[in-house]
Amino acid sequence: MQGSTRRAGVMTDVHRRFLQLLMTHGVLEECDIKRLQRHCYKVHDRNAPVEKLEDFINNINSVLESLYIEIKKGVTEDDGRPIYALVNLATTSVSKMASDFAENELDLFRKALELIIDSESGFASSTNILNLVDQLKGKKMRKKEAEQVLQKFVQNKWLIEKEGEFTLHGRAILEMEQYIREVYPDAVKVCNICHGLLIQGQSCETCGIRMHLPCVAKYFQSNAEPRCPHCNDYWPHEIPEVFDPEKEREAGVSKSNRRSSRSRQH
Amino acid sequence: TMGVPKSPILPLALRGPGAESSPPPSSPHFNAISQNSLTSGSYCNPQGLQRATAVSYTESIYRSGLDEKVVILVYYLLYKYQMKESITKGDMVRNIIQTYRNHFLEILKRASEHLEMVFGLDLKEVDPYRRIYVLVNKLDLSYNAKLSDDRGVPKTGLLMAVLGVIFTKGNRATEEQVWQILNVMGLYKGRKHFIFGEPRKLITKDLVQENYLEYRQVPDSDPPRYEFLWGPRAHAETSKMKVLEFVAKIHDTVPTAFPTWYEEALRDEEERAQARAAARARTAAIASARSKAMASCSSRPSKV
Repeated sequence: MQGSTRRAGVMTDVHRRFLQLLMTHGVLEECDIKRLQRHCYKVHDRNAPVEKLEDFINNINSVLESLYIEIKKGVTEDDGRPIYALVNLATTSVSKMASDFAENELDLFRKALELIIDSESGFASSTNILNLVDQLKGKKMRKKEAEQVLQKFVQNKWLIEKEGEFTLHGRAILEMEQYIREVYPDAVKVCNICHGLLIQGQSCETCGIRMHLPCVAKYFQSNAEPRCPHCNDYWPHEIPEVFDPEKEREAGVSKSNRRSSRSRQH
Repeated sequence: TMGVPKSPILPLALRGPGAESSPPPSSPHFNAISQNSLTSGSYCNPQGLQRATAVSYTESIYRSGLDEKVVILVYYLLYKYQMKESITKGDMVRNIIQTYRNHFLEILKRASEHLEMVFGLDLKEVDPYRRIYVLVNKLDLSYNAKLSDDRGVPKTGLLMAVLGVIFTKGNRATEEQVWQILNVMGLYKGRKHFIFGEPRKLITKDLVQENYLEYRQVPDSDPPRYEFLWGPRAHAETSKMKVLEFVAKIHDTVPTAFPTWYEEALRDEEERAQARAAARARTAAIASARSKAMASCSSRPSKV
């Protein structure tokens, strides 16, 4: 547990500030994480060269190991954007979010989680979730209140809402994949390509295997006739667009050229 | 996967004592996990758990129990830090340390070393008699050393700028006026800033909750309009003069360049000085009255 002293040279104020800020956000997209990293250098070690993000994060993780937490990289299920979250490895349940929520709120999340996992689409409708409000543990919650709690989950990036339906945010998947696999081993769906936990995705109508949308995009990349990797039947769904960091960067550059440069120091 | 103890600990599920009337989260799914992933000796202490976590012990964990307490205490202190709550020794022993109470100091020391080394947070004992602790961000002190030496007011120019708008608009500012300033600083409604998050939430909820700002409906406004005022904590931790100094600095000038506001700030300084003098006089009067009372009842044992 005192292995941290071995690695003492690695943690500087740059890393600490990064960790503090990441902790307050919970989860960040890759572009924001990179800006955060540059900000931390600017503030604490102006002249030092900015370390490659992967190495930077690995350094921090080696120190976090003794605390059983980790900065984990994942990918959003709907459009394949890379995200980074600080996850707690020692716990196998709704830990991180639990600090901000009461017992009945946590139970509401649990109910929503179960509906999401059991659903075919990976989405649970607001109506179905709210109908379970009477079964919640703890203080009695009215449906109106439950709607607000669900919005709190969305704001805190545990759930995503789309047209009145809820699914898990990438952050929740990163944090809770282990827990979900352990507690719902029969209901859990898995991607045929990356073997990761699957909440949203596409499925083969013949043999039933499933794939994440970004995994579909990558697998069928330049394939004019997409076929199921398992049963070889035609893949019946539209192949989605995958997130391309290069395209994103070009778009970002043209945007910032138009915007006047403004100091971000506060 | 890594030989990590799979104890289904929920350290961040802790609620501070007296936080709320609702019961703390109890978590039956921990018990489910403990049955799946741990083999023997699932032990749940309902008494100790009332306020704390659902903890299951197996023999292997019990051996490294002390190490684990250190880790859980780190999570607990981080949680308290994020909630901006102070921590008492009692909280820590009841909720975390529990059976290891004789090792409290050692566990606390190791936890605070982690917090300092990994997160740059300093554990300070603010009240040695009542054993109250607080976590202080070491990084802020060094980062903001060149700004004013005010303790307390968050050094982010953001808050000072908002306080400045409110002051210079006659001690109340409309939401539009505040947004004008924020837009100049690169913050826009609905657009998440990579440090501050969503600015509207920051000014209408977070800073209000921390008592730095007041956000209320303009009386008798229909349709309802809203305005910002200084919150009690802003009044306590800074002053009109200090905020005016900040405003002058960003306009590259001095406070006296704004005669009306300068006068108001001067009056405010005078009132504060008078209030401080009055408080000192009161304290002196009480002290002298007490010593007179003690002198006349010297037979009675007194606790000072």
